[in-house]
Amino acid sequence: MTLRNDTPPLDNRSKMLRRLVIDALDGGGRGHLGSSLSLIEIVRVLYDDILRHRPQEPKWEGRDRFILSKGHGCLALYAILADKGYFPVEELRRFCHRDSYLGGHPEAGKIPGVEASTGALGHGLSIGVGMALAARIKRSGTRVFVAMGDGEINEGSVWEAAMSAGKHGLDNLVAMVDYNKIQSYGFVSEVQPLEPLADKWRAFGFAAIEVDGHDTNALRQVLAAPAETGKPTAIICHTIKGRGIPFAENEPSWHHKSKIAPDQISAMYAALENT
Amino acid sequence: MSAVTSNLPQRDAFWTRVYEIARQDRDVIIISADMGAPALDKIRLDLPNQFINAGIAEQNAIVVGSGLAMAGKKVFAYAIAPFITLRCLEQVRVNNCMMKIPLTLVGVGAGFGYQDSGPTHHMLEDIAVMRAFPTIEIDSVSDSVMAADVAERSIKERRINYVRLDRQTLPDLYKTGHDFRPGLDVLRPGKDIMLVGTGIMTHAALETAEILSKKGIDAGVVDLYRLPVNAPALLNAVKGAKKVATLEEHFLPGGMGSAVAEVLADAGSTLPLKRLGLPVEKGYCYTYGGRDALHNWYGIGAEQIIDSLIGFAKG
Repeated sequence: MTLRNDTPPLDNRSKMLRRLVIDALDGGGRGHLGSSLSLIEIVRVLYDDILRHRPQEPKWEGRDRFILSKGHGCLALYAILADKGYFPVEELRRFCHRDSYLGGHPEAGKIPGVEASTGALGHGLSIGVGMALAARIKRSGTRVFVAMGDGEINEGSVWEAAMSAGKHGLDNLVAMVDYNKIQSYGFVSEVQPLEPLADKWRAFGFAAIEVDGHDTNALRQVLAAPAETGKPTAIICHTIKGRGIPFAENEPSWHHKSKIAPDQISAMYAALENT
Repeated sequence: MSAVTSNLPQRDAFWTRVYEIARQDRDVIIISADMGAPALDKIRLDLPNQFINAGIAEQNAIVVGSGLAMAGKKVFAYAIAPFITLRCLEQVRVNNCMMKIPLTLVGVGAGFGYQDSGPTHHMLEDIAVMRAFPTIEIDSVSDSVMAADVAERSIKERRINYVRLDRQTLPDLYKTGHDFRPGLDVLRPGKDIMLVGTGIMTHAALETAEILSKKGIDAGVVDLYRLPVNAPALLNAVKGAKKVATLEEHFLPGGMGSAVAEVLADAGSTLPLKRLGLPVEKGYCYTYGGRDALHNWYGIGAEQIIDSLIGFAKG
């Protein structure tokens, strides 16, 4: 699937959420920019259209669960949670400040709406299997969504979870891969090739679908479709690392920056407007 | 001890020395669990047959590395500290400790080195955990000179060792050529109280000793940089002091302070000992805003240490 030519342009909402990410980067002076920007449409569609959730009542028992297993992409999650009203949007600018609850990885029990503390990779899908099993036992109708990174699924534990999800036929579980093709120290194709990725998930008992992870209509369609009975779903989201800021797109060095200068922040806002 | 100031990040000093040796010794292999570093780039580009990016798969990296070591290779496995230790502990236990396969685990981000990344990236239990295993030596590095020395000795001595590197750049304490074989050094003599530090907290101990001395307390500093502790050397280093205090950026149970307490107790020492570190009752910290904020939250901020030690020294 090629993306650069056929992925739709960013609409105003997608740009607005990206501005929130830049606000947080500006406030914290650091962060995983590339890893967050590839995720924006995934979290946007989930929280706008798919998840049953109550921002004013984050612990509502009837909610669907979303676990951001690639915790380093937390700025995307923080942006959508703030936008939805889980906490004030102004908090984003206090990212990594001494008295803020928004740190470099998301912490459950501290940040309203965050279901699991992630940052160590390869835990989220197993947590999701547990939650999906519990939902089935309780007959609650809860759906569980887990977003993972493409580098993250190098971890063997992901495939232990996948085998388990397949065994239990968890049709209330959706595993999403943010397949932005770049991991921490290089391109996925060089570090640890994943193809044939959809077939891997199928071999583990999943119904696997590939989608343009920046195309909100396409994402909405696959996420809203009923699951195949008796099978967990895997959605391979083809994305662009750093999407929306051309100088950061597909550029491995923007995976994470620890010292972001003010002029870089200005350049990001400007690039986003012109994209 | 007068310092020379190369003041490199420990990570860069370490991998630069590995690179220099690896160019001559083709048996040196570096496995990275998708972690980069400028000095590592040189190895990756210049010595492609000696560098493997294992991806984000630390458990596999350890055992592949062990397989390489069984065939005579001299292997380094590198990742953020908690992921190259805790994540693959059983792999290390069986393949290295039980089968005695030499391997050097290199973890960057000792203590709170990853600062605002939160507790998943902090390394607060590694000394307790790793020193529980037979055959593992812990190299708790306090400056870049030591980092380079540890790199060289890891290759020469073919040990099973865990190198804990700080992520922040710390000032150098040692001169090139220093003999690090003893596993500890007295950096400053002191008659009233001997402060034993490791890693970044050796630097805190030196600053603390300076302030205590101005307040009339003659405080010395020991840098304890290798575990298991060289017991005779430690007992010798503290014998002239009236009291001993340990400083560590690590949970207190089982840490460096515990190791010092074991040595003193086993030797029948009656020296009063105070262990300063992270009280385990405090749990994990979700405070951001840098390393100092984390230290203050746990009670080991600079002023808190001074207050605590003044009370101890005079008590």
